[in-house]
Amino acid sequence: MTSKTYQKRHELWLSILFASFAIEDEAIKSRLYDFSQIAFRHMKWIGTALLESGSDYNYDREMQLLKRESNFEILQALKDEVKAFTSEYDDSVLMQRVKTDDDYLLEYLSQLLSDAKNDAKVTAFSMERKWDDLAQEQIDALTLFLFEESYKEYELILVYAYMQARTDNALHFSVFQDLVDESHFHLKSFGNMMARLGILALPRELHPMTYIVKDLKKFIVDGIAEEEAAKEMCKELSDAIKDEKLSKFFDFINYQESFHIHLMEKLL
Amino acid sequence: MFEDVKMPEGMSPQMLEHLMYPKNYGKLDDADGVGVALDEKTGEYVIFYTKLKNDIIEDVRFATNGCQDTVVIGSMYTEMIKGNNTEYAQKAIAKMHDKLGNLSPQQQICADIVFTAFIASLKNYENRQNGHDEELHALKMKESCEVKEDDSKGEENDK
Repeated sequence: MTSKTYQKRHELWLSILFASFAIEDEAIKSRLYDFSQIAFRHMKWIGTALLESGSDYNYDREMQLLKRESNFEILQALKDEVKAFTSEYDDSVLMQRVKTDDDYLLEYLSQLLSDAKNDAKVTAFSMERKWDDLAQEQIDALTLFLFEESYKEYELILVYAYMQARTDNALHFSVFQDLVDESHFHLKSFGNMMARLGILALPRELHPMTYIVKDLKKFIVDGIAEEEAAKEMCKELSDAIKDEKLSKFFDFINYQESFHIHLMEKLL
Repeated sequence: MFEDVKMPEGMSPQMLEHLMYPKNYGKLDDADGVGVALDEKTGEYVIFYTKLKNDIIEDVRFATNGCQDTVVIGSMYTEMIKGNNTEYAQKAIAKMHDKLGNLSPQQQICADIVFTAFIASLKNYENRQNGHDEELHALKMKESCEVKEDDSKGEENDK
């Protein structure tokens, strides 16, 4: 197990997650999302094992999210990527767990691919940007918000996970976990909205300057300011968008951001 | 607010492409110059990697924890300068200002942090050429991205 193992699992987590966003079928979407969460936990456990053995890991990636046009193209690419991970298995309890999970995922993907009814056109990368009755300027505002915030949620998941793996403080560990869980939900919400708009794209890669935090207090103070800004964006978006369901959704996210600030203040 | 954060040309297909697939994004292991521009107030940074052959910019990368405006401007600017010489790259800063039209003060700062990081990478290259053992050259932004919309754009100072 090496840092490359970690990187490949990081990439696989994203591949499964973004496949779940891209595919419209609710049953497949939901199942793939569950698998993505399992892959994230694999990644976290591999990171812990590396740290315990005196090694380290980083958030480098060598992947692209290709514009695929059908469910089957996505599912086949995913299947190939899971199979390619085989070379990373070893005899450890952890990697045997990963292997059995992957085997089960491969079986599920094979089942999906064996039934033509599971295939469908994918519009997540079409760049069409249509959303019910929203006017173009509202869609522009929504587009920018989704790019901004999907990156931010991805960044927060990885930064908090990085700090959680390195803290001995039980309170900090618990708060980091809450914040990671919350950001998973936000990333899921925003990712699915991006797919609906046809602008699904990977959040950009994190540079070590972003995730290696030398001053926790400053990081949290800056983070609270960012949460405040995100709250403001949600509120303005909620006010600007003439769609009751969307407007209520952004109010809901806004209130969640308030609680994040409360959680973050516990770290100070 | 949301009208202000839009690029002047609106949400063009070109801008959408830069948002979805930023060009020249990431690290460059064999860079000849590495520069960082840092907004200390917000913690926002741009890191710029430049690989030079004589005076030609053979390759370039950038990374940031900043906003999407910074990403789009970095993506556009790196596309403009890659394969050209450093003089062209410095003139391109002015061309970019023209291309981007009337940016809001906040967007001006996003553009400036990208350009400042590039300048810092050239300074790092120059320092290395002069025998200094400098991993990267950092420049602090005088004005913060947090400025109100009616504030004017700032200058950069050496660290």
